[in-house]
Amino acid sequence: MTGDALKRWICLGCGFSYDEALGLPEHGLPPGTRWRDIADDWVCPDCGTPKARFEMIEIPYADGQPRAAA
Amino acid sequence: MPNSFVLRADERGYNKILSTGATATYVGGHPDAFITRFSSFNFGDYQDGRAGFGRVRVFGDEAFHHPGCNYNMHPHHNFIICAFVLEGRLTHINTLGGMEDLVSGDYYAFSAGSGGLHEELNRYAEPMRAIYVWMLPDQLYLPPSYARGHFDAAAGMNRITPLLGDAAGAIKLSQDARVSRLVADGPGGFRYRPRSAGHGVYAFVIDGTLHCDGATLKRRDSSGVWGAEEIVYETGRGDTDILLVETII
Ligand SMILES: [Fe+2]
Ligand SMILES: [Zn+2]
Repeated sequence: MTGDALKRWICLGCGFSYDEALGLPEHGLPPGTRWRDIADDWVCPDCGTPKARFEMIEIPYADGQPRAAA
Repeated sequence: MPNSFVLRADERGYNKILSTGATATYVGGHPDAFITRFSSFNFGDYQDGRAGFGRVRVFGDEAFHHPGCNYNMHPHHNFIICAFVLEGRLTHINTLGGMEDLVSGDYYAFSAGSGGLHEELNRYAEPMRAIYVWMLPDQLYLPPSYARGHFDAAAGMNRITPLLGDAAGAIKLSQDARVSRLVADGPGGFRYRPRSAGHGVYAFVIDGTLHCDGATLKRRDSSGVWGAEEIVYETGRGDTDILLVETII
Protein backbone atom coordinates (compact mmCIF):
# COMPACT_ATOMS: atom_id res chain seq x y z
CA MET A 1 0.00 0.00 0.00
CA THR A 2 1.38 3.42 -0.94
CA GLY A 3 0.20 4.77 2.41
CA ASP A 4 2.74 2.57 4.11
CA ALA A 5 5.55 2.98 1.59
CA LEU A 6 8.98 3.72 2.99
CA LYS A 7 9.49 7.46 3.20
CA ARG A 8 12.23 10.09 3.26
CA TRP A 9 12.64 13.00 5.63
CA ILE A 10 14.82 16.09 5.39
CA CYS A 11 16.37 18.17 8.15
CA LEU A 12 15.13 21.74 7.87
CA GLY A 13 18.26 22.97 9.63
CA CYS A 14 20.84 21.65 7.18
CA GLY A 15 19.34 19.40 4.48
CA PHE A 16 20.53 16.06 5.88
CA SER A 17 18.06 13.39 4.81
CA TYR A 18 16.78 10.24 6.46
CA ASP A 19 15.56 7.43 4.22
CA GLU A 20 13.55 4.73 5.99
CA ALA A 21 14.75 2.15 3.45
CA LEU A 22 18.40 2.89 4.22
CA GLY A 23 18.23 3.71 7.90
CA LEU A 24 21.39 5.09 9.45
CA PRO A 25 23.35 1.99 10.46
CA GLU A 26 26.32 4.11 11.57
CA HIS A 27 23.96 5.84 14.03
CA GLY A 28 22.26 2.67 15.25
CA LEU A 29 19.22 2.77 12.95
CA PRO A 30 19.06 -0.36 10.76
CA PRO A 31 17.64 -0.22 7.22
CA GLY A 32 13.84 -0.27 7.33
CA THR A 33 13.60 1.72 10.57
CA ARG A 34 10.41 3.74 10.38
CA TRP A 35 10.54 7.42 11.17
CA ARG A 36 7.78 6.95 13.74
CA ASP A 37 9.94 4.39 15.54
CA ILE A 38 12.83 6.81 16.03
CA ALA A 39 12.90 8.41 19.50
CA ASP A 40 11.30 11.83 19.83
CA ASP A 41 14.50 13.23 21.31
CA TRP A 42 16.58 12.11 18.33
CA VAL A 43 18.39 14.97 16.61
CA CYS A 44 20.03 15.49 13.23
CA PRO A 45 23.48 13.88 13.37
CA ASP A 46 24.93 16.74 11.29
CA CYS A 47 23.45 19.84 12.94
CA GLY A 48 21.51 18.89 16.07
CA THR A 49 18.12 20.00 14.74
CA PRO A 50 15.35 18.17 16.66
CA LYS A 51 13.37 15.38 14.98
CA ALA A 52 10.22 17.54 14.98
CA ARG A 53 11.91 19.93 12.53
CA PHE A 54 12.29 17.37 9.78
CA GLU A 55 9.87 17.37 6.86
CA MET A 56 8.61 14.35 4.94
CA ILE A 57 9.64 14.72 1.29
CA GLU A 58 8.87 12.95 -1.97
CA ILE A 59 11.91 14.18 -3.89
CA PRO A 60 13.60 11.58 -6.12
CA TYR A 61 17.30 10.82 -5.89
CA ALA A 62 19.69 12.17 -8.49
CA ASP A 63 21.21 9.65 -10.92
CA GLY A 64 23.59 7.28 -9.17
CA GLN A 65 22.34 8.19 -5.69
CA PRO A 66 22.07 7.35 -2.90
CA ARG A 67 25.61 6.22 -2.34
CA ALA A 68 26.45 4.40 0.87
CA ALA A 69 28.15 7.40 2.42
CA ALA A 70 26.80 10.59 0.93
CA MET B 1 -9.22 32.45 -8.15
CA PRO B 2 -5.83 33.63 -6.89
CA ASN B 3 -4.80 33.03 -3.31
CA SER B 4 -2.60 35.34 -1.33
CA PHE B 5 -1.17 36.28 2.02
CA VAL B 6 0.51 39.38 3.39
CA LEU B 7 3.30 39.18 5.95
CA ARG B 8 4.17 42.43 7.68
CA ALA B 9 7.77 43.18 8.62
CA ASP B 10 6.99 43.00 12.35
CA GLU B 11 5.15 39.68 12.04
CA ARG B 12 8.31 37.83 11.07
CA GLY B 13 10.36 35.66 13.38
CA TYR B 14 13.28 37.42 15.05
CA ASN B 15 16.51 36.01 16.43
CA LYS B 16 19.54 37.78 17.82
CA ILE B 17 22.36 35.28 17.80
CA LEU B 18 25.37 36.14 19.98
CA SER B 19 28.83 34.86 19.14
CA THR B 20 29.32 33.97 22.80
CA GLY B 21 25.88 32.46 23.38
CA ALA B 22 24.53 28.95 23.36
CA THR B 23 24.93 28.71 19.59
CA ALA B 24 28.52 29.96 19.63
CA THR B 25 29.68 26.88 17.77
CA TYR B 26 27.55 28.19 14.92
CA VAL B 27 28.11 31.93 15.21
CA GLY B 28 31.72 32.73 15.84
CA GLY B 29 34.21 35.53 15.63
CA HIS B 30 34.54 38.73 17.66
CA PRO B 31 33.17 38.30 21.22
CA ASP B 32 30.76 41.21 20.70
CA ALA B 33 29.62 39.95 17.33
CA PHE B 34 25.98 39.13 16.72
CA ILE B 35 23.69 38.25 13.88
CA THR B 36 20.13 39.51 13.64
CA ARG B 37 17.79 37.39 11.59
CA PHE B 38 14.21 38.16 10.57
CA SER B 39 12.60 34.97 9.26
CA SER B 40 9.63 35.07 6.91
CA PHE B 41 9.14 31.33 7.36
CA ASN B 42 9.70 28.89 10.20
CA PHE B 43 13.38 28.35 10.84
CA GLY B 44 15.34 27.33 13.92
CA ASP B 45 13.60 28.36 17.12
CA TYR B 46 11.02 30.38 15.21
CA GLN B 47 8.19 27.94 14.52
CA ASP B 48 5.07 30.12 14.83
CA GLY B 49 4.77 31.19 11.21
CA ARG B 50 4.41 29.69 7.78
CA ALA B 51 6.37 26.54 7.00
CA GLY B 52 7.48 28.00 3.69
CA PHE B 53 6.16 28.91 0.27
CA GLY B 54 6.22 26.39 -2.53
CA ARG B 55 9.75 24.97 -2.58
CA VAL B 56 11.15 27.81 -0.45
CA ARG B 57 11.83 26.89 3.18
CA VAL B 58 13.98 29.75 4.45
CA PHE B 59 13.78 33.47 3.80
CA GLY B 60 16.10 35.28 6.20
CA ASP B 61 16.70 39.02 6.34
CA GLU B 62 20.00 39.02 8.18
CA ALA B 63 22.62 41.45 9.45
CA PHE B 64 26.13 40.53 10.66
CA HIS B 65 27.48 42.99 13.22
CA HIS B 66 31.16 43.59 14.12
CA PRO B 67 34.25 42.45 12.27
CA GLY B 68 34.71 38.69 12.45
CA CYS B 69 30.98 38.02 12.79
CA ASN B 70 30.24 34.77 11.01
CA TYR B 71 28.46 31.51 10.70
CA ASN B 72 31.37 29.13 11.21
CA MET B 73 32.13 26.54 8.56
CA HIS B 74 29.30 23.99 8.79
CA PRO B 75 27.82 21.24 6.61
CA HIS B 76 24.78 21.08 4.39
CA HIS B 77 23.13 18.67 2.03
CA ASN B 78 20.50 19.14 -0.64
CA PHE B 79 19.31 22.68 0.02
CA ILE B 80 19.95 25.33 -2.59
CA ILE B 81 21.22 28.20 -0.46
CA CYS B 82 21.15 31.65 -2.04
CA ALA B 83 22.39 34.96 -0.69
CA PHE B 84 21.66 38.45 -1.98
CA VAL B 85 23.96 41.05 -0.47
CA LEU B 86 22.35 44.41 0.29
CA GLU B 87 25.02 46.29 2.26
CA GLY B 88 28.54 45.80 3.49
CA ARG B 89 30.86 43.03 2.39
CA LEU B 90 30.22 39.30 2.73
CA THR B 91 33.08 36.82 2.61
CA HIS B 92 31.61 33.52 1.46
CA ILE B 93 33.77 30.39 1.71
CA ASN B 94 32.67 26.96 0.55
CA THR B 95 34.12 23.51 0.04
CA LEU B 96 33.77 23.74 -3.73
CA GLY B 97 36.81 26.01 -3.59
CA GLY B 98 34.93 29.27 -3.51
CA MET B 99 36.29 32.04 -1.29
CA GLU B 100 35.22 35.45 -2.32
CA ASP B 101 33.83 38.78 -1.27
CA LEU B 102 30.37 39.88 -2.31
CA VAL B 103 29.08 43.44 -2.06
CA SER B 104 25.78 45.18 -2.69
CA GLY B 105 24.11 43.72 -5.78
CA ASP B 106 26.19 40.53 -5.70
CA TYR B 107 24.47 37.23 -5.10
CA TYR B 108 25.25 33.54 -5.14
CA ALA B 109 23.52 30.16 -5.35
CA PHE B 110 25.19 27.28 -3.49
CA SER B 111 23.54 23.94 -4.13
CA ALA B 112 24.77 21.70 -1.33
CA GLY B 113 23.60 18.52 -3.09
CA SER B 114 25.55 15.45 -1.98
CA GLY B 115 27.41 17.52 0.59
CA GLY B 116 29.24 20.79 1.10
CA LEU B 117 30.27 23.16 3.84
CA HIS B 118 30.22 26.90 3.95
CA GLU B 119 31.14 29.87 6.07
CA GLU B 120 29.50 33.29 5.92
CA LEU B 121 31.70 36.06 7.32
CA ASN B 122 31.71 39.82 7.77
CA ARG B 123 35.34 40.95 8.17
CA TYR B 124 34.54 44.65 8.47
CA ALA B 125 33.17 47.18 10.97
CA GLU B 126 30.29 48.09 8.70
CA PRO B 127 27.31 45.72 9.16
CA MET B 128 26.79 43.23 6.35
CA ARG B 129 23.15 42.83 5.34
CA ALA B 130 21.93 40.06 3.10
CA ILE B 131 18.82 38.09 2.23
CA TYR B 132 19.27 34.32 2.55
CA VAL B 133 16.88 32.06 0.64
CA TRP B 134 16.87 28.26 0.87
CA MET B 135 14.98 26.07 -1.57
CA LEU B 136 14.44 22.34 -1.73
CA PRO B 137 16.09 20.80 -4.80
CA ASP B 138 14.21 18.78 -7.42
CA GLN B 139 16.54 15.79 -6.82
CA LEU B 140 18.39 14.62 -3.73
CA TYR B 141 22.18 14.38 -3.58
CA LEU B 142 22.95 16.16 -6.82
CA PRO B 143 26.58 17.07 -7.45
CA PRO B 144 27.15 20.25 -5.41
CA SER B 145 27.48 23.49 -7.32
CA TYR B 146 28.20 27.15 -6.75
CA ALA B 147 27.72 30.19 -8.94
CA ARG B 148 27.70 33.91 -8.31
CA GLY B 149 26.12 36.79 -10.13
CA HIS B 150 25.73 40.53 -9.95
CA PHE B 151 22.62 42.66 -10.21
CA ASP B 152 23.35 46.05 -11.77
CA ALA B 153 20.70 48.37 -10.35
CA ALA B 154 21.35 51.08 -12.95
CA ALA B 155 20.98 48.70 -15.88
CA GLY B 156 18.01 47.02 -14.23
CA MET B 157 16.11 50.22 -13.37
CA ASN B 158 12.34 50.13 -13.86
CA ARG B 159 12.08 46.55 -14.98
CA ILE B 160 12.07 43.03 -13.61
CA THR B 161 15.52 41.42 -13.92
CA PRO B 162 15.90 37.64 -13.62
CA LEU B 163 18.75 36.59 -11.31
CA LEU B 164 18.20 32.85 -10.81
CA GLY B 165 16.25 30.34 -12.88
CA ASP B 166 15.77 29.44 -16.50
CA ALA B 167 15.77 32.94 -18.03
CA ALA B 168 18.63 33.98 -20.28
CA GLY B 169 21.51 35.34 -18.22
CA ALA B 170 20.20 33.93 -14.95
CA ILE B 171 22.00 31.32 -12.85
CA LYS B 172 20.36 27.93 -13.35
CA LEU B 173 18.63 26.24 -10.43
CA SER B 174 17.85 22.54 -9.98
CA GLN B 175 14.32 23.49 -9.00
CA ASP B 176 11.21 24.90 -10.69
CA ALA B 177 11.89 28.32 -9.20
CA ARG B 178 13.02 31.74 -10.34
CA VAL B 179 14.33 34.77 -8.47
CA SER B 180 14.10 38.27 -9.91
CA ARG B 181 14.81 41.79 -8.72
CA LEU B 182 12.62 44.79 -9.38
CA VAL B 183 14.05 48.25 -8.75
CA ALA B 184 12.17 51.40 -9.67
CA ASP B 185 12.80 55.09 -9.13
CA GLY B 186 9.15 56.07 -9.04
CA PRO B 187 5.58 54.90 -9.57
CA GLY B 188 5.15 52.20 -12.19
CA GLY B 189 3.20 49.06 -12.99
CA PHE B 190 5.10 45.82 -13.59
CA ARG B 191 3.40 42.67 -14.82
CA TYR B 192 4.67 39.27 -13.74
CA ARG B 193 3.34 36.14 -15.42
CA PRO B 194 4.06 33.03 -13.37
CA ARG B 195 4.94 29.91 -15.34
CA SER B 196 1.52 28.40 -14.63
CA ALA B 197 -1.47 28.60 -12.33
CA GLY B 198 0.41 26.08 -10.19
CA HIS B 199 3.17 28.59 -9.49
CA GLY B 200 3.27 31.36 -6.91
CA VAL B 201 5.36 34.45 -6.31
CA TYR B 202 6.70 35.67 -2.99
CA ALA B 203 7.45 39.41 -3.18
CA PHE B 204 9.67 40.92 -0.50
CA VAL B 205 10.04 44.69 -0.19
CA ILE B 206 13.71 45.40 0.47
CA ASP B 207 12.90 49.11 0.34
CA GLY B 208 10.14 51.44 -0.77
CA THR B 209 6.45 50.82 -1.27
CA LEU B 210 4.67 48.22 -3.34
CA HIS B 211 1.00 47.73 -4.15
CA CYS B 212 0.02 44.19 -4.99
CA ASP B 213 -3.25 42.26 -4.99
CA GLY B 214 -5.06 45.00 -3.06
CA ALA B 215 -2.41 45.36 -0.36
CA THR B 216 0.12 48.11 0.27
CA LEU B 217 3.48 46.74 1.30
CA LYS B 218 6.16 48.82 2.96
CA ARG B 219 9.82 48.21 3.77
CA ARG B 220 10.41 44.54 4.69
CA ASP B 221 6.72 43.63 4.23
CA SER B 222 6.04 40.79 1.83
CA SER B 223 3.27 38.93 0.07
CA GLY B 224 2.68 35.58 -1.53
CA VAL B 225 0.31 35.19 -4.47
CA TRP B 226 -0.49 31.91 -6.21
CA GLY B 227 -3.02 30.67 -8.75
CA ALA B 228 -2.88 33.95 -10.70
CA GLU B 229 -2.36 34.14 -14.45
CA GLU B 230 -0.69 37.50 -14.01
CA ILE B 231 0.39 39.56 -11.01
CA VAL B 232 0.65 43.33 -11.26
CA TYR B 233 3.19 45.01 -8.99
CA GLU B 234 2.80 48.76 -8.64
CA THR B 235 5.74 50.62 -7.19
CA GLY B 236 5.21 53.74 -5.09
CA ARG B 237 6.91 57.14 -5.04
CA GLY B 238 10.65 57.27 -4.59
CA ASP B 239 12.99 54.32 -4.81
CA THR B 240 11.60 50.81 -4.59
CA ASP B 241 13.61 47.60 -4.38
CA ILE B 242 11.84 44.22 -4.52
CA LEU B 243 12.98 40.61 -4.51
CA LEU B 244 10.57 38.27 -6.32
CA VAL B 245 10.75 34.51 -5.73
CA GLU B 246 8.64 32.37 -8.03
CA THR B 247 8.18 28.71 -7.16
CA ILE B 248 6.00 25.80 -8.06
CA ILE B 249 3.45 25.45 -5.29
FE1 LIG C 1 24.51 27.15 6.38
ZN1 LIG D 1 20.53 18.88 10.15
